[in-house]
Amino acid sequence: MSVKVDPNLMKDLKEFGLTDANKCFHCGNCTAVCPLSTPENPFPRKLVKYAQMGLKDKILQSPEPWLCYYCGDCSDTCPRGADPGETMMVMRRYLTSLYDWTGFSRKFYTSEKFEIIAVVVLGLLVALGLWIFHADSPNMEHAYINSVWPVESMEIADLIMGGVLAILLLSNTARCFLFVLGDLKSKIPIKHYIAEAKELVIHLFTQKQFSECTDRMQWIVHLLIMTGYSTVFLMVVVFLAGGLDIIGLSWEKIRFQRDVIYPIWHPMRLLGYYATAAILYGTTYAIIGRIKKSKAPYKNSHGTDWMFLILLQLTTLTGIFIHFTRLLDWPLTTYVLYAIHLGVAVPMLVLEVPFAKWAHLAYRPVVLYLTKVKERYAREQQAIAS
Amino acid sequence: MEHKVAVYICTGCGIGDALDIEELGKVATSENSVPICKTHPNLCSQEGVELIKSDIAGEGANTLAIAACSPRVMYDAFDFENCIVDRVNIREQVVWCQKPNDEDTQMMAEDYLRMSLAKVEKMELPEPYQPEQEVSKNILVVGGGLSGMTSALEGAKAGYSVVLVEKEAQLGGFQNNVKQKVTFPYKDVQDNDIDNLIAAVTGHDKIAVYTGANIEKTSGAPGLFDVSIKANGSTVDHKVGAIVLAAGWKPYDPTKLDEKLAFGASDNVITNAMFEEMFKEEKIARPSDKQDVKNAAFLQCAGQRDPNHLPYCSSICCLTALRQACQVKAQNPDANVYVVYKELRTPGQAEDFYRKAQEDGITFIRCQDPEVKASGNQLTVEADDELLGEKVVLEDLDMVVLATGMVPVTAFGPDFSMEETEEGEEEKKKEEEEEDIIADIIRRSDILNLEYRQGPELPALRNDFPDSHFICFPYETRRTGIYAAGCVRRPMSTATAMEDATGAIMKAIQCVELTSRGAAVHPRVGDLSFPELFMQRCTQCKRCTMECPFGAYNEDEKANPLPNPTRCRRCGICMGSCPERIISFKNYSVDMIGSMIKAIEVPEEDEEKPRVLMLVCENDAYPALDMTGLKRMELSPYIRVIPLRCLGSINLVWIADALSKGIDGIILFGCRPGDDYQCHFITGSELAQYRLAKIAETLDRLVLESERVRVEEIAIIDWERIPEIVEEFMETIEEVGPNPYKGW
Repeated sequence: MSVKVDPNLMKDLKEFGLTDANKCFHCGNCTAVCPLSTPENPFPRKLVKYAQMGLKDKILQSPEPWLCYYCGDCSDTCPRGADPGETMMVMRRYLTSLYDWTGFSRKFYTSEKFEIIAVVVLGLLVALGLWIFHADSPNMEHAYINSVWPVESMEIADLIMGGVLAILLLSNTARCFLFVLGDLKSKIPIKHYIAEAKELVIHLFTQKQFSECTDRMQWIVHLLIMTGYSTVFLMVVVFLAGGLDIIGLSWEKIRFQRDVIYPIWHPMRLLGYYATAAILYGTTYAIIGRIKKSKAPYKNSHGTDWMFLILLQLTTLTGIFIHFTRLLDWPLTTYVLYAIHLGVAVPMLVLEVPFAKWAHLAYRPVVLYLTKVKERYAREQQAIAS
Repeated sequence: MEHKVAVYICTGCGIGDALDIEELGKVATSENSVPICKTHPNLCSQEGVELIKSDIAGEGANTLAIAACSPRVMYDAFDFENCIVDRVNIREQVVWCQKPNDEDTQMMAEDYLRMSLAKVEKMELPEPYQPEQEVSKNILVVGGGLSGMTSALEGAKAGYSVVLVEKEAQLGGFQNNVKQKVTFPYKDVQDNDIDNLIAAVTGHDKIAVYTGANIEKTSGAPGLFDVSIKANGSTVDHKVGAIVLAAGWKPYDPTKLDEKLAFGASDNVITNAMFEEMFKEEKIARPSDKQDVKNAAFLQCAGQRDPNHLPYCSSICCLTALRQACQVKAQNPDANVYVVYKELRTPGQAEDFYRKAQEDGITFIRCQDPEVKASGNQLTVEADDELLGEKVVLEDLDMVVLATGMVPVTAFGPDFSMEETEEGEEEKKKEEEEEDIIADIIRRSDILNLEYRQGPELPALRNDFPDSHFICFPYETRRTGIYAAGCVRRPMSTATAMEDATGAIMKAIQCVELTSRGAAVHPRVGDLSFPELFMQRCTQCKRCTMECPFGAYNEDEKANPLPNPTRCRRCGICMGSCPERIISFKNYSVDMIGSMIKAIEVPEEDEEKPRVLMLVCENDAYPALDMTGLKRMELSPYIRVIPLRCLGSINLVWIADALSKGIDGIILFGCRPGDDYQCHFITGSELAQYRLAKIAETLDRLVLESERVRVEEIAIIDWERIPEIVEEFMETIEEVGPNPYKGW
């Protein structure tokens, strides 16, 4: 086996935000200090070498970028300022673009102009759609959203969006799955996949790997954003109409979009508050961190990092405003804010979930799961051999 | 000189508490009838020193035995003009390493005083050597490259007249080929400014420049060198005091390289030196057809760090390759440039330039053994990347640049020592019998053409570099007054070469100044003694002329030694070599050490107090012994230490003297010999071991066991081991039993 060197990959990776990887002289301190690096999957130095040598195929098969949660220990320890943590981050962006078969992700990551235009155009389209498709007689006396955009129709729109997102994300995840498995895809028996299935769930919900990093604050912030986001996602996508109203499977008592506000103790309202607070705290912490460049993971910010945080925070803030205008019963303001809210939220979901940062919510647990499956398979092979 | 002896005993630093000073004084007053014997509680104080001075002035005392601390401390306090001074080390080596107020401790101190009195009796005040001819303070610089010119300029700036000899038609050396270089602050490539240096040198009125010149002959000695320079068809003679050798280097012959590197298989495989020449003339282009270079690979350590070629690292090729790679990139920013290296070595601040090269987008591949494959104009390099663990293939290369190393110009020419043995069968046989020591490699490289008995050029230490010890004695060659600078000494960068050149000219200046005062140069700086030969008894055995590590002796046709005192470093190796014992210094002689040995009182066998003589190198082992005292480690009370200038000055008669006197054992502390030697006089400890290998003969004659004599290698850091070594030897002596010659 021999490999061909491609010095041009470094130029390509620059577009994804790579700045300092060429400074690396391979002392290996980063791999030594990383709490998550293992002898089977050592990183980040290996990935830095792949980047320097332009080994795209090897990067494509590497699970390591998804095993890293970017605590920044490696970058703090690097004697040469090569910022290996950032290389891992760039690798995640790069891999996201490689997993995406539409090519949209690549454009989104490599061109800020494209990124902004895509968000703005989609946002405007959503607002326009809401302007065009609204009920004939909105209630202008009370802030009743259902009178403008009935929850039944919104659910249909929701489902369409959800379906498209799912198809895109799942197809990309399948590609991720196959790339990471590499030559093993036809070899590992199904029993191993079943045996390790719980890992997928555990990592999806707890990110317990992250808690092993030295800087636990990053894990907490990440967990807050993730749980807050998941909660609100469930509420607005799955429980918007209290279930699947379109086939009659819904429970009025947990419907999210309703005109009568829940009492303060209602679980839906409390969950809403938790999600709002968690996301707001998490994103504010991250935004301040990125502005101040307070720690290694926040030192280099790619355009998509900002876009992600801004959209998430704007979605949250507009959501909060809607909540207040509804409480104050200001109909017009509520409806306008609702349009803005969706104009921000939809691009965030449509663009970020299959094509950008949000995609990692699928890739990371899947790769972690596959790593466990591979390890299990390797152990078995070893046992057979001996 | 009439000796008027005075003994001073210091009672400070615990000496007075551990010894019976009155009894000690009796060794001087009663046993040796010394007229003046005084004690003082703090002899090194101003008051103590005044006490001594008043005796010198008032009583005419001129021979002083000062029993106090080690001679390695307080030497400035106990420095008395026109007086013979001996320091009796009863502090570090007696009271600090022995049981206080013990009979054996007292005996030890008394013995040391006896030995000192015997010693000073045999000492004379040295008179500085003044040659008949006037000592020249001019300096010859050989080689007009960066190092040579820097040396010449620095010497001239310091006020010395310099003669600069360059072989080529113009000054500049290798740097003439170099358009751009990387030096301080190592941030970027800079234009080479060698022309400014050339202008400064040629314009300086204290520098006489000879270009297209070579040295036909160098005879004489420091301060008295006669140099014949042949230039433009005529010969000019110059008298100089010291020489700086900055003759430079040549690139390693690439045709000797491994076939794997494909030198010669394609025009596009070139060396780093060829790259410089090309770049000086024009832009960087593919050598075969002058097309643009789109892909280039630099292969490091071509025939370097390789026992089959150059075993050493030339230290600058990595930096050179980085610069050349950056130059390719600067010309064509889209070019793919690879550096294949074993270990990238960018010492000091050159690391910054490595970083720049990384940032310029050079690709680095770590591989111990790359292979070049040539087909037509295109080249491929295959390399096992150690960081990747896989083979990397670099295709479509327009150019491969091999980093060949630096070979000193002294590495060329036949070995003089081999010639000599071919001269005649008879002589060869004789030398085989006598000479077990491997002769130094001296190549006829036509640089200095020295008229020295040991050979026409400088002896090499290793890999043909004429250095002597690059850590302990930088710039010093094994010929006194000749200092090496720049890449002839070891491979180095331009920045280091300039530093080196300045250091070497400094050494040359020290040499002419010290020589003009009749004093020794490093390491016995300022020593005024020099060897004197009692020629009537010389047997022309040639031992002294062959064994002097510095080639101080020439020979006449009848093989009589012709000493050159200004070449001498005063180690006394010749004194030890002479079987007739005709070589002595005013203050250091075979007789003097012999008398000291004879002064040791050896108790009768039934007293069960053995005696062990320790002959100790004063450069490393003696301070190590002081250190054991300083650390209050206990040593055997039965040892008697005598410091020697160098263990190489050991004369076998001392061993015979000691054993026939009844001393039970002899232990010698010297330095590590061989390639990584630590001897201040290079071959001293090697010669000592060589001589002692023949001690069996002496022991057999005396019917004594060979275990009684032992040599130990002691470095200055080995002080911790000394008590153990001594104890182990004492046990051996106990096993062997007492010397049967006791009481004879």
